[in-house]
Amino acid sequence: MTHSIVDDRSLVQAAQQDPARFVDIYDRYVDRIYAFVSRRTGNRTDAEDITSQVFEQALRTIGQFEWRGVPISAWLFRIASNLIADHFRAQRRASDQALPELPDPGEVADIDRRLALFWHVERLPELQRRVIQLRFVEEKSIRDVATALERSEGAVKQLQLRALESLRKSMGQHG
Amino acid sequence: MAERPLFDRLDETVDAIVGRRDATAALRDAELAPLARLAADLRHYPGAEFRARLRATLQRRTTMTTTAMNPAVREGFSTVTPYIRVPGEGLVAFLVQAFDATETFSTRGGGGGMHREVRIGDSMVMIGEGGDGGVMPVRPSAFHLFVADADVTYRRALAAGGTSLGEPADRPYGERSGFVADPFGNHWYIATPLGPRSVGHALRAVTPFLHAPDAAAYDEFLQRALGAVEEMRQDEGGEFRYARLRVGDAALELGTGEAMPGSYMLYVMDPDGSYAQALAAGARSVMPVSDEPYGRVGGVEDAVGNQWFFTRPPSASR
Repeated sequence: MTHSIVDDRSLVQAAQQDPARFVDIYDRYVDRIYAFVSRRTGNRTDAEDITSQVFEQALRTIGQFEWRGVPISAWLFRIASNLIADHFRAQRRASDQALPELPDPGEVADIDRRLALFWHVERLPELQRRVIQLRFVEEKSIRDVATALERSEGAVKQLQLRALESLRKSMGQHG
Repeated sequence: MAERPLFDRLDETVDAIVGRRDATAALRDAELAPLARLAADLRHYPGAEFRARLRATLQRRTTMTTTAMNPAVREGFSTVTPYIRVPGEGLVAFLVQAFDATETFSTRGGGGGMHREVRIGDSMVMIGEGGDGGVMPVRPSAFHLFVADADVTYRRALAAGGTSLGEPADRPYGERSGFVADPFGNHWYIATPLGPRSVGHALRAVTPFLHAPDAAAYDEFLQRALGAVEEMRQDEGGEFRYARLRVGDAALELGTGEAMPGSYMLYVMDPDGSYAQALAAGARSVMPVSDEPYGRVGGVEDAVGNQWFFTRPPSASR
């Protein structure tokens, strides 16, 4: 899940020549930036809103991005940090301690773990993946999930358990 | 007492995690603890729908970026230009005195009134003075105006004959702004960005600020009718509060409130197609597409009362 600097450079050049290629940068980094923003804000709505702003700002300014050997992720993290700081200021939640622009080692470990987890969720059997989506993303109750999937509540609880056990096994193998 | 099955204990923990309640009890249950840790991380799982939606938005934006060098846009103008109708002279003098506007063009219109064009910062504004004005009614509208020092410009606007609607103050949305009505009733939200991430940095000096009682529905309409792309939206307590929409290389801002409808020129390569698209989205025609001395143009009015004139100037070759 790491990418070479040479690849990053090609991505930037392609997007600077043809803005339509910006989605390649998006596809590669959206989960990483989302995981970072989500960790700092702890709130899904804010994480989605700020992640959107990060990529919109990046698209607007990609033309001015000067390649100096710094990975794209560092550039995106800096944009995200500034937006998070602005968000906290607007919410009057500014902490006394300024957060670093780039994720610290603890954050990097958390982000990497979550990226691996998200990757494994995408590879769960369809029904288990839908349970994860409905339960954790849409925050539906087990009863609502059961209705949506036309299964009994007991069956959904079993699916949820199987999904988590499968993820635990995959994550164990992963790292 | 028989222990409850693991799937029940897990579900109770997931309930607590999703509901932001204390779920630490799960960590004392050896069988449950590793699953509970994964569940806590899953709360941060980005929804597939969110990722797909953002991807689609960025793709639309890149299409618009590519078409931003739209040859239909008159030199020095942007895709959207406000057209302010006033009953007589005086608005240009106010804009010059208050906002350092420069008059770049004037001509007598077919209806007997004057057509004037002024530049304010990087933006153009058209003004129709007197005359019958054709289909455009005389009515005030609202604009966000970005300046170097909101306090200074606010005082100049009052000295030029404006009326205060609100003294300059630091606003929670990242700008210092004061509000003034010009002598013809147009509202000017005079702002200076406070931080590097204020919305002002993404906008032109003069940006139309649209209001609608049901702004969420109007936002959707603008996306369908004008092909506008929502760049930013803020809801509060589940209610729409503010959105910024991009149309070509220009932006529109939208807030909930009583409408102050205005008229806007939109430079497009295919006025017939844009006109048809707006009608299909629910707008009504105020001017069927025709060839005029200033280009091929068709106009519509939407449910809020804003008028949109899709124009391809003669200088734009197909």
